Amino acid sequence: MDVRKSPWGVKILIYLVMFIFTVLAIYPILWLVIQSFKTTQEYLTTSKLALPKLWFPGNYPYAWKLGKFGMLLLNSLFYTIVTVMGVVVFGFMAGFAFAKIKNKATPLLHGMFIVGILITLQSIMVPLFLMVNTVHLYDTRLGILIPYIGIGLPMGVYLSTEYIRHIPEALIESARLDGTGYLKTFFFIIFPMSAPVAMTVGILTFTGTWNEFMLINILAASDTIKSIPVGVGRFSGALASDYGKQFSALVIGLIPMLLFYLIFRRQITKGVAAGAVKG
Amino acid sequence: MYKISAKREQWKAYLILVVPAALIYFSVMAFPTIFSIGLSLTNYNGGKIFGNPKLVFTGFSSYLRIFQDPDFYLALKNNLFIVLISVFGQIPLGFGLAYILSRRLVKGVDFFQTMIYLPNVISPVIIGILFKSFYLNQDSVYMELLRKLNPAAEFTLSNHPMIPVLVVMLWMYTGMYVIIFLANLQRIDTSVIEAAKIDGASEAQTLWYILLPALSGVIVTCAILAISGSLKSFDLLFVMTGGGPAKQTSVLSLYMYSKAFVGAPNYPLANAISTVMVIISFILIGLTQGMEKRFGGKE
Repeated sequence: MDVRKSPWGVKILIYLVMFIFTVLAIYPILWLVIQSFKTTQEYLTTSKLALPKLWFPGNYPYAWKLGKFGMLLLNSLFYTIVTVMGVVVFGFMAGFAFAKIKNKATPLLHGMFIVGILITLQSIMVPLFLMVNTVHLYDTRLGILIPYIGIGLPMGVYLSTEYIRHIPEALIESARLDGTGYLKTFFFIIFPMSAPVAMTVGILTFTGTWNEFMLINILAASDTIKSIPVGVGRFSGALASDYGKQFSALVIGLIPMLLFYLIFRRQITKGVAAGAVKG
Repeated sequence: MYKISAKREQWKAYLILVVPAALIYFSVMAFPTIFSIGLSLTNYNGGKIFGNPKLVFTGFSSYLRIFQDPDFYLALKNNLFIVLISVFGQIPLGFGLAYILSRRLVKGVDFFQTMIYLPNVISPVIIGILFKSFYLNQDSVYMELLRKLNPAAEFTLSNHPMIPVLVVMLWMYTGMYVIIFLANLQRIDTSVIEAAKIDGASEAQTLWYILLPALSGVIVTCAILAISGSLKSFDLLFVMTGGGPAKQTSVLSLYMYSKAFVGAPNYPLANAISTVMVIISFILIGLTQGMEKRFGGKE
């Protein structure tokens, strides 16, 4: 029996299941956006499920200022862009060496990078904090960037090695015969050819870095160094009872990633799949 | 002569290409991991590491203290709940939805896929705070709905404080498994399925005898992801409950965080907890792979 020709009942049931899951996935987010247009007073006194009587945008400027989101947004962008570049360039350089240059050190080195995929952040938190302190990088942007790049590298090295390994050997050999060195071969031939995977690695790193909360919480003290998730996190403490501001702060934190997702959703889902398919 | 210089050039290029990544990776991840294990065997609690006169080797005493701490078992139990909901909730649910989508039983696959994955890209901090207003207080949406059924309902979490957390985790991460299963289901050769159909296999038989065996490797990969992800869970809980009330929703990572960064730091204990977490993670992953060797791989 082909399900596509199945009775109407089955079809409706399947649609219903999909529909319910879709609504469940997006309703809380929609709800949040709607509630952010209520004053705290209205939120507390009316039904939590009702639409605002009067769409009140005034929470947004307040939350923006209180949360210092201008600064945090710039910081987040800076951390994310530099981390993505670092992970992609360094990760692919190493990936090329592991895949195409013979060396006895490769199995050991490459293996250590792969184990890194399984290392949880918590297990390095305390020593990392101590080390960053020792080298006087606590509460500096560099002290946040280096760990971020290091955390992204295992996935970058893993995916790039797998991909570059499948580029034909003949291509590199013919470049070598023309007298091109390894570095030139990498930067002018292999790296441009790896653009699709570089995109995948970049997007996975982007999402991870943008949403990172724990490490920066420990490694940064000043407001000028922190990022958006830390700023949003502030609204869960002392400001928690001011729902109007809290909800609009959450929406402010939500928008960049939502835009990013809608633009790159194909690459994001492809990247997630690629990260788990092999192995 | 030519050969030697070529070898040399090869070495030089290898070094230039590998050193930046290796240097950063080793200083940020590999070394701290080993360092953490080392520190867990000492009484180091701040100040200089080298030349610190009070620094002594204490062996496994920190580990013994953890194993005598009831908070540890509470956190461990909650972590295991998270592992269970991930492996037996998110993965089957994700598979079911991916199956519906991959067999094109509905139109608009792209739309459903986009929407179901959406919670995954949102920062856990935002989700945590959002769901606090959904569940965790007198004014929550959950309470409003509950009062419609029973106007006298009072907000309480005392019975099963982990349930709201587990529900949110199910909500957040199921989409990831949908994507992974969908990608792999689409890689399966459709001619095999068509052939089975021609031979008279039902939808259920195709699923059981063809699709599931072909995906056993992916299921194991997902289980590994779920387990390591479960042990990583921190941000969501940190903002949603902070481990409260009365540590009822604490997990190992929060337990460690509280020992290292809240109040008077206790680094030896925190490092020992980290090491225990790594060991648990490896044991669970090893078990999963063992299961796969035993039962899987029917391809």
